[in-house]
Amino acid sequence: MSKIMEWVDARLPVTELLKSQATEYPTPKNLNYWWNFGSLALLVLIIMIATGLFLAMHYKADANQSFDVVEHIMRDVNYGWLLRYAHANGASFFFMVVYVHILRGMYYGSYRQPREILWWFGIIIFFMMMGTAFMGYVLPWGQMSYWGAAVITNLMSAIPVIGEDLVVWIWGGFSVGDPTLNRFFALHFLLPLVIFGVVILHLWALHAVHSNNPDGIDLHDAKDSIPFHPYYTIKDFYGYGIFMIIFCIFVFYAPNFFLEPDNYIPANPMQTPAHIVPEWYFLPFYAILRSIDFLGSFSKLAGVLAMVGAIMILFVLPFLDRSPVRSFRYRPLSKQLFWIFVVDCIVLGWVGYNPADATIFNGALPLIIIGRTCTAIYFGYFFLLWAITALDIEKHQPVPKSI
Amino acid sequence: MNCQEVIKFRSVVKRVSRMVRSAAVLLVAAASLTAAVPGDAQASSGAAVPPKQPWSFLGVFGQFDQAALKRGAQVAVQSCLTCHSIKYIKFDQLRQLGFSELEVKAMAEGTGRTKKDPLTSSMDPTAAKESFGVVPPDLSLITKARKGYEDYVYGILVGYASDSDLALANRVMADGKIGAEEAKEVASALLLDGHYPDKMAETLKRMIGGENFNRYFPGNFFAMPQPLMDGAVAYTDGTENSKVQLARDVVTFLAWAAEPTQMERKSLGIKVILYLVVLTIMLYAVKRRIWAKVH
Ligand code: HEC
Ligand code: HEM
Repeated sequence: MSKIMEWVDARLPVTELLKSQATEYPTPKNLNYWWNFGSLALLVLIIMIATGLFLAMHYKADANQSFDVVEHIMRDVNYGWLLRYAHANGASFFFMVVYVHILRGMYYGSYRQPREILWWFGIIIFFMMMGTAFMGYVLPWGQMSYWGAAVITNLMSAIPVIGEDLVVWIWGGFSVGDPTLNRFFALHFLLPLVIFGVVILHLWALHAVHSNNPDGIDLHDAKDSIPFHPYYTIKDFYGYGIFMIIFCIFVFYAPNFFLEPDNYIPANPMQTPAHIVPEWYFLPFYAILRSIDFLGSFSKLAGVLAMVGAIMILFVLPFLDRSPVRSFRYRPLSKQLFWIFVVDCIVLGWVGYNPADATIFNGALPLIIIGRTCTAIYFGYFFLLWAITALDIEKHQPVPKSI
Repeated sequence: MNCQEVIKFRSVVKRVSRMVRSAAVLLVAAASLTAAVPGDAQASSGAAVPPKQPWSFLGVFGQFDQAALKRGAQVAVQSCLTCHSIKYIKFDQLRQLGFSELEVKAMAEGTGRTKKDPLTSSMDPTAAKESFGVVPPDLSLITKARKGYEDYVYGILVGYASDSDLALANRVMADGKIGAEEAKEVASALLLDGHYPDKMAETLKRMIGGENFNRYFPGNFFAMPQPLMDGAVAYTDGTENSKVQLARDVVTFLAWAAEPTQMERKSLGIKVILYLVVLTIMLYAVKRRIWAKVH
């Protein structure tokens, strides 16, 4: 055995790579469980690619057949129901895990120097995940698939000059139809593999600068680090166990919890559903989109810009935060802003879930007002984080020298 | 406890209290959200929420009542199939419910098909569109395709106006308008919103005019005439064939038809989850052991 490894290592240094990047790879010893979510995201990505591959062996992209074919997978293919439910619920869990992963980075200042490139790869992954999930949702060709696709692709028409033509080009016709379905399937197959590639870049960037830690400090003392294996391998596996239990409870006992009943109705271009809702993980962004409705004919374009901007602003977060301290653990003001931001995102999600013209308190308060306020708070977070750090308003607490 | 353990214990307590605090913030936010349910979303659908029914097949250990499934299949074939299809189920598959091959053959031939055929409606879509204005939807997935699921379909089947409801409508509308007391009475009998007497009067007029009123259909009126009445289908197993019983049975059947693999799913789920729980406990034990060396 060792002879063979020697032979291989002389040509391709596998052992050396495993040693330096996995087994002996130095990792901060004080990482808490929020640091499990990166490896969890990788697990879900693998689950998605594996179940997706087998689904693709039975699926057909065809406006006249796709709905029936998905039911054929559910009913006639051996364990087809397991593949489909794991894949559909996997998408929701992917977003849950990645949202926690992103918020973890925001709380502990993981986006700060020297991890900017690592952070940017993460946002690129997030962006591509959204595209993949959106196109995947179209594939079963139910009512929500069809009308969700129609509403979202229509947003492109807000782009000045080329918008209208662009939408027709994306549709491959004058409405969402068979060509749209086919190209979405091709892209939905491709994108996760691209995501996989960017995850490798993401990990490369991680290993170049190493993990941040809950104290947000640079590690100088050798005693602060422990080898990745066995400490974090076992901790990640324990996390996998907990995750799989929760995931399986949904897959086996509440598989339709995240699915809209309307998507069990075949797509019907002649009949608009009473209430078109995107998947839950798009809702905060959907609410931001709809909250800009006061600019007349510019509303649509401005809404789209605000929605895209809500993600794009994450790219500049490393430059907005000017505090000398990374971790919010030692930054009382930033910490409060952070929790307001989290609650704000949840409220935005709830606004996005309800019809645009809904009201609360017997009509006294239109939801659109809440939506606008929360959109302002969303962007306000980034402004205030800059303001309190750049203008030295925040007095940070003493930061430990070592872990 | 030695000194180090005390310090560790304190930091754990601190951490837990921090987490409790942030959880509390989130909970308060979530609670205030649920307290403020948007009004218009409710009003625009304009139908009562169908009450929950004690379905035997729901829940982790839920099982289908086999006798009810067989009766339900009979109701579906003899009644619903006149207008609706259940196209993802073939006659032959009904043998999974305990019908014999001969019985299945008889059922198929009774509607002019063979046992290899799917349960399609005998009414062709154009004819249906002519008589009803809409093509009756396929029922294969109906219990998954509506908010309220099984409870909704059951609600639809039993939610029509009864003779006494009609008598009430006639009495209330005799003088052409609805008083405050009458509004309350109608609201509680027909599950309508009592705040809008004009809308209510409109509803009662259409009801008296013979349109298909249903308590649970969004908008209250639709094209399906009441499909089930007491005694509409003759049961052979001695079960009372009241409207309510027929409805319960056919909904049970439709819930099976919507996902014939659901019992397989649930029984596999228990094994998978038990396995994962044991595995995770072991992983946790190993993790504790390995990390004991790190301070
Ligand atoms: C006389 C023809 C006829 C028969 C028999 C019939 N239906 Fe219908 N059904 C219809 C029509 C027409 C519609 C469409 C109603 C509409 O959308 O306005 C419909 C719609 C429905 C709906 C959908 C309601 C919704 O939310 O859109 C359900 C559920 C339903 N039927 C169940 C049944 C069941 C169960 C049976 C058998 C017990 C049955 N129907 C028998 C004609 C019929
Ligand atoms: C497919 C999705 C993703 C996968 C599979 C993935 C995977 C990982 C893994 C395995 C780690 C190391 C473990 C850890 O520190 O948590 C990591 C670290 C990191 N990820 Fe991701 N990630 C994904 C998406 C994202 C996104 C969307 C962002 C942010 C926008 C992001 C930002 C980061 C950052 C900043 C780190 C370094 C964390 C630190 O050391 O503090 N990741 N990622």
